[in-house]
Amino acid sequence: MYVAARGGESAIRNAERLYRDLVGAFDAETVHTIERAMPYLVDRVMGEGSLYAPELAALALAQSGGDLYEAVLMLRAFRSTQPRLAYARPVDASSMLVVRRISAAFKDIPGGQVLGPTLDYSHRLLQLEVLDRDAKAQDEEERSQAGEQEEDGEEAGMAGERSGVSNCNYPLVADWQRDAGLLPLLAVHPCPDASEIPDVTREPLLFPAPRAMRLQSLSRADTGGVLALGYANMRGYGAVHPTVNEVRLGYAEIEIAHPITNELFSIGRIRVTHAEVVTALKSASVGNGAQPDGDTKLHLELGFCATVGWNEVKTIAGAMLDLAMDLPDPHPSHTEEYVLYHTDPVESSGFCIHYKLPHYVTFGSELDVVRSVGEAKRVAGLGDYYGDGDHLVSGMPGTYSERPGAPLVPEGTAEQV
Amino acid sequence: MHPLSILSRASAHEVISLADDILAQFEEIQVLQNRTGIVMLPYRDSARGVTFHLGEVLMAEAHIRSRLPSGREVEGYGACLGRDLQHALAMAVLDAALRGGVEAERIEAFVASQAAALAAHDSALLTKVEATRVTMETF
Repeated sequence: MYVAARGGESAIRNAERLYRDLVGAFDAETVHTIERAMPYLVDRVMGEGSLYAPELAALALAQSGGDLYEAVLMLRAFRSTQPRLAYARPVDASSMLVVRRISAAFKDIPGGQVLGPTLDYSHRLLQLEVLDRDAKAQDEEERSQAGEQEEDGEEAGMAGERSGVSNCNYPLVADWQRDAGLLPLLAVHPCPDASEIPDVTREPLLFPAPRAMRLQSLSRADTGGVLALGYANMRGYGAVHPTVNEVRLGYAEIEIAHPITNELFSIGRIRVTHAEVVTALKSASVGNGAQPDGDTKLHLELGFCATVGWNEVKTIAGAMLDLAMDLPDPHPSHTEEYVLYHTDPVESSGFCIHYKLPHYVTFGSELDVVRSVGEAKRVAGLGDYYGDGDHLVSGMPGTYSERPGAPLVPEGTAEQV
Repeated sequence: MHPLSILSRASAHEVISLADDILAQFEEIQVLQNRTGIVMLPYRDSARGVTFHLGEVLMAEAHIRSRLPSGREVEGYGACLGRDLQHALAMAVLDAALRGGVEAERIEAFVASQAAALAAHDSALLTKVEATRVTMETF
């Protein structure tokens, strides 16, 4: 059975018109302002949309009035219309142009720590004066800021000269730990042909998932979803208390092969975030005969997550979940299936908002069942919709009425409810 | 460094302007491909060493075949981030010109000047990054 609605087309057209009237029109300038002024928001949309295209992410934000899930959906929809032209050369974090690199595990790491572009260590106070200042004061402030920037630039230049800035080298903290014997050496994974790497955009996600699919799913996961599950893990629903081993933000070169000469060249750089967490875990100790000797020992284990765009909170929470998913008996909300199925922004938001669509027939059927059970109970003297007879609440909303087709909505006043 | 690695990050306006100037040197140009598409970026996991797909990147590409005044045919290719088809097409023209020895010195000089500008930009950025270096002390 279908329920037909008349006048829908015109109503939808008017609804879109009203939306635009209230949200406001946008043009190319609006889009470019968003791209310039809100890079972290743009990065979030690109990361979750799994497509690095700053201008289009900004357009999606403008078009959706800032609704993140709508913007991500639009970006993914656009992506699905584009042919895959190439696979880039695999990126190693140690080859990135690094602008921020910190470790909470070690204070002295090879290459040192640079805070980079961040507001992490600033006061979170609204700069109300920006709204209140007049044009003259604004001019004076800008002149003053320009002077300060010049002084800072001179200081930065001197610091750069002292440290040989052109030769910046930030080896991975994990590689340094391996060299120091703190982590086991990496198993040799021959770099596969990129077209053979498992790809969640082309194959279904099955469990246990190949690690490549797990990491790809985390890379395109919903920031809020990953944070919520990661936070639950941090608060106590997980068995580990990790430390941030390394967070790095930087620019990665996208290198593809020239189709005529097969030489590699860069088509440009993209922003990338890379995060590792580390924790000590118990494992079975191995005796001289390479057999478990019944004892346990502690060893360090890494969790990892990376994404396109700069998004530290998602990658730190994602790295914690990566670690949690590998534990022998994870909390139910930290199993691989639970985490990966529930953190895709398009799947989850799409399923949630589909409930807004008419479900008249589905709900009508449910109502029929409720009524028929209620009727059967009434005839048998067992009670009503909501009660077993002994606990029947008089005047309860939806209480059965003799009148045929009685509405479930209570007829009484709000006070009676 | 490959000239295309510089041209892809150089000012699109200047790359297109140079290609427009050089275009007259070709007898004819056939555009084999000029389109947008995506490139998948594999990334190395530092915890287990597995390579996985980090995400896709929007790119514009162009592939041309041109005939030089000598009658020789030469192909050129260009690609850049985003969806600027003209930038990619101009890169392909310059690539074909370099391959065919058309105004090679002029193009190489342009590439060198753009490379210097990009290097200066990187150096300025890294100097600012260096100014945020912290040294931890244990009390």
